[in-house]
Amino acid sequence: MSTDVHTLSGAYALNALGPEEAAEFRRHLDGCQACREEVRELQTAVARMGAAEAVAPPPDLKARILAAADRTRQEPPAGPVTAGTSEPTPIRSAGTSSTAAGEHGRPRWVTWLAAAAATLVVAGGGAYGVQAMLDDEPPLSLAATRVFEAQDAHTATVETTEGGQLTVAVSAGRKEMAVDTRELPALDENHVYQVWSVHGDEMVSAAILSDPEIGAAMGMPDEETQVALTVEPAGGSEQPTTEPIVQVDPYEVLRS
Amino acid sequence: MGSEPGLRLVHSRDPADVNELVSKVARGDSAAFEGLYDALGPAVFGVARRVIRDPNRAEDVAQDVFLEVWRKAPSFDDARGSAKTWIMTIAHRRAVDAVRRNESQKKYDGQAMPEEVQHDEPVERVIQQEEHGAVRTCLETLTELQMESVRLAYFNGYTYAEVATLLDKPLPTIKTRMRDGLIRLRDCLETAR
Ligand SMILES: [Zn+2]
Repeated sequence: MSTDVHTLSGAYALNALGPEEAAEFRRHLDGCQACREEVRELQTAVARMGAAEAVAPPPDLKARILAAADRTRQEPPAGPVTAGTSEPTPIRSAGTSSTAAGEHGRPRWVTWLAAAAATLVVAGGGAYGVQAMLDDEPPLSLAATRVFEAQDAHTATVETTEGGQLTVAVSAGRKEMAVDTRELPALDENHVYQVWSVHGDEMVSAAILSDPEIGAAMGMPDEETQVALTVEPAGGSEQPTTEPIVQVDPYEVLRS
Repeated sequence: MGSEPGLRLVHSRDPADVNELVSKVARGDSAAFEGLYDALGPAVFGVARRVIRDPNRAEDVAQDVFLEVWRKAPSFDDARGSAKTWIMTIAHRRAVDAVRRNESQKKYDGQAMPEEVQHDEPVERVIQQEEHGAVRTCLETLTELQMESVRLAYFNGYTYAEVATLLDKPLPTIKTRMRDGLIRLRDCLETAR
């Protein structure tokens, strides 16, 4: 990044940096006291600008939020990190190379996907919603829950190359799919899971799971589109930088 | 949406009160969580509504924001900023994530450009706060380019690179206009208190 990295504080406070630049600026903040102070002040001003937009929420939203909190476990305090403090088990990315691009600029995941196309394990369900209600786990986001609980939802559970499981729900009626990411291995704070739609040579970000505890919902991709999950630096990436740890064909789930 | 017409005057909570509420929420106090919703629910929903526009999706985002606050309150440290700023930052980040995700989906469907932006007020009645007047007055102290850059980034969820393209200006110009604009806003709001 250029030497005037400090001037990114304004764009950062407005959430106007791309994922890579935001992650890079966050690393800069770790070592730059002046920027940390400036960002805090600018965020305070920005928060007041946002608060001036206050409108009355629909009356039933409050009850829904209170009920959802009631069945959600709070996270233990992070506490100051000292030597010897146990951290969540970090997982390394599946790839050995730091880039997913092959020699000719053709992303390596294309061949990877072709090789791994048989990893889909359909554990099928239908009773998913019931289980999610009975469990003590934190709830998925509302958007994801709606897909999982759709009348016509098909679900599949897939194992990843790093252990853990990804559960996918697909609803043809809603034209949506959702992922339950709560059973994936924990990542350290410098990494996130990112979902991609993969179509031929094109790989487009579908969701950055800044919070794997709540999963994600997205529009149903076109036919012949796969959905892949990679581990990316915090903030996500424009294009994948590691190989997928799991991939799913939503239409195959639909036919399951 | 709301059935009673007209404006409602809401006194914004002192930021210290919100900090106090969050420290109670950190200990699992659900009454404090309800108080927090009463204090910031309209602001969180309002910013989500303004950025996302679709009221149903804005509700989902508001719910996710408050659940994140509930779960992460035990780690909140007011030495690093006020609770209100923390919550509003989460709200805006999640709203922006929601529209950008939608955008990559749209690009994928072959629609390259974001849909045209509207600037009209939300349909719901605006909650009149002391905050509103000060912010409006202070935003008027920005230059036109500062104002446009800040507005397109914050309310439409554009990256500064997208703002530069829309306004046909070099990247470094937009970057510094955003910062200078926010510095003016900050300084003005401090004196307007
Ligand atoms: Zn700096």
